[in-house]
Parts: sequence; C-alpha cells; structure tokens
Amino acid sequence: MNFISGVEVTSSALMAQKMRLDIVAQNIANAQTTRTPEGGPYQRKVVNFETELLQKSGGAALSAVRVGGITNDTSEGQKVFNPQHPDAGPDGLVQMPNVNLAFEMVDLITASRAYEANLSVMKSGRHLAQQTLRIGKQ
Amino acid sequence: MIAPIFQSDNYQLARKLLDAAVLRQDAIASNIANAETPGYRRLDVSADFSTRLKEQLVSGALKRGTADIRPTLAEDATARSVRPDGNTVAIERELMALNRNAVEHEFLTEIVSGNIKQLKLAITGRQF
Repeated sequence: MNFISGVEVTSSALMAQKMRLDIVAQNIANAQTTRTPEGGPYQRKVVNFETELLQKSGGAALSAVRVGGITNDTSEGQKVFNPQHPDAGPDGLVQMPNVNLAFEMVDLITASRAYEANLSVMKSGRHLAQQTLRIGKQ
Repeated sequence: MIAPIFQSDNYQLARKLLDAAVLRQDAIASNIANAETPGYRRLDVSADFSTRLKEQLVSGALKRGTADIRPTLAEDATARSVRPDGNTVAIERELMALNRNAVEHEFLTEIVSGNIKQLKLAITGRQF
C-alpha cells in the first residue's frame, strides 16, 4: 500500500519531464555542432510521451507517463555562408543543425512548469498523508 | 455508549468522503502527469458515488454499517477538449481541484479526529 496517494504516477511524470529537460539541454548545447559520429550536422532530438497503465484502483486504471521514444527531427537546417569553416562545402555553405533556439526555450519552460505542477501534487499528497496519520491525536 | 459515535451519520459520511478524497488525489495526480499525453481523458471520482451515498444515508444503511459503497474512478465525460490533440486536461483547473481536495481532506480528517477525541474524553474524563 501507499501512504502518499498518486505517488507512482507523479514520479513517473517527474522522470519523463526531467528526460525532456535533458534533451532540450542536449539540443541547445549542440546548436552549432556541424560534425557528428553519424556524419552531417547534429539533428534536433524530440521526446514523445506515452501512457503506461497502472494498477486498477477502483474503476478506470491510472495512467503513468513514460518516455515513448527519442526521435530525430529530420527537417533540414539552415545553410550559412562561411567559406573559412572546415565543414564548408565547395560553394562555401555550411549545413547547420536544425536546432531553433526559440523552440527549445519554449520546450524548456513548458517542461519546467510541468515539473513544478507535478511537484506540487507530490507536496499536497504528502500533506494529506501526514494529516491522515494525525487522526485521533491531541 | 461507544456505538452512537461510530454509527453517527457524520462520522460514517466523513469516512466515506475521506476515501473519495484520497481517490480524487490519485485522479488529479494522474491528470497532471498526463497533461501532455495526446488523447488522454481526465479522470475523476465517478459521479454516481455522491448520489448513491445520499441514497444510503436516507435509507439508514450508512448508520447501520451495512452500506456497501466505494468510490470509483471514471473518465470525466463532461470535460471538453479545446486542444488539437484531444487531451481534456486543463492544468489550471487541475491545480485548483488539487487545492480544493486538500482543504476538503483536512476538514474531513478534523471531523473524524474530533469524533475520536470526543470518545476518548468520555472514557478518560477531563484531566485536571
């Protein structure tokens, strides 16, 4: 049994959002990377979530969240004219990663807000459990 | 004298509603966790719980302790999606529900606690 209700679901969401923050960090860090082990410039990574059904607690099952997969965004990045760059093509253009800093910042804020919302659920659950344990005390 | 406190309507109602509050906490946790899952439909304590509870209260089954009623979770059919992904969770509403539920839970634990303290006082008497 669980003293804190909803703790499995909330912790799964916290982990999923944290993974999203990690991926955003990776995307921003590699915003200028033009060379990767797979060849070509860095490709932006996208996290997608999926539900995972949890135990039946009366009626509908609770659904936890997990990271379904991390996929590459295959859209093409900008080409920048920079003949001095070691990865420049014969025409002097450098294929840059398809990372858009504005998108990444929006993702970053969304993920951190979602993380905060889940944390407040956790706090409230803890408060409920403490009250329950105090039933009948002076 | 012990029976009347544990068989009073208020005590029995508070117990059942406390069960519902804990289950609602589960539902809200699940809703906030899945706020960005495409196609997720928000959960809540099923609506027929309160009507069935009232029926049992009126019929007196609650007082006799023969009531067989448990809150269950169900998809909230009234929630409408305003998002292209079909998700019916509105995070602001969930956070409001979370706070409301916490206050409700506090109130109910106070009632249950108060009943038990009353009984304790009756047994031990006032200590001077």
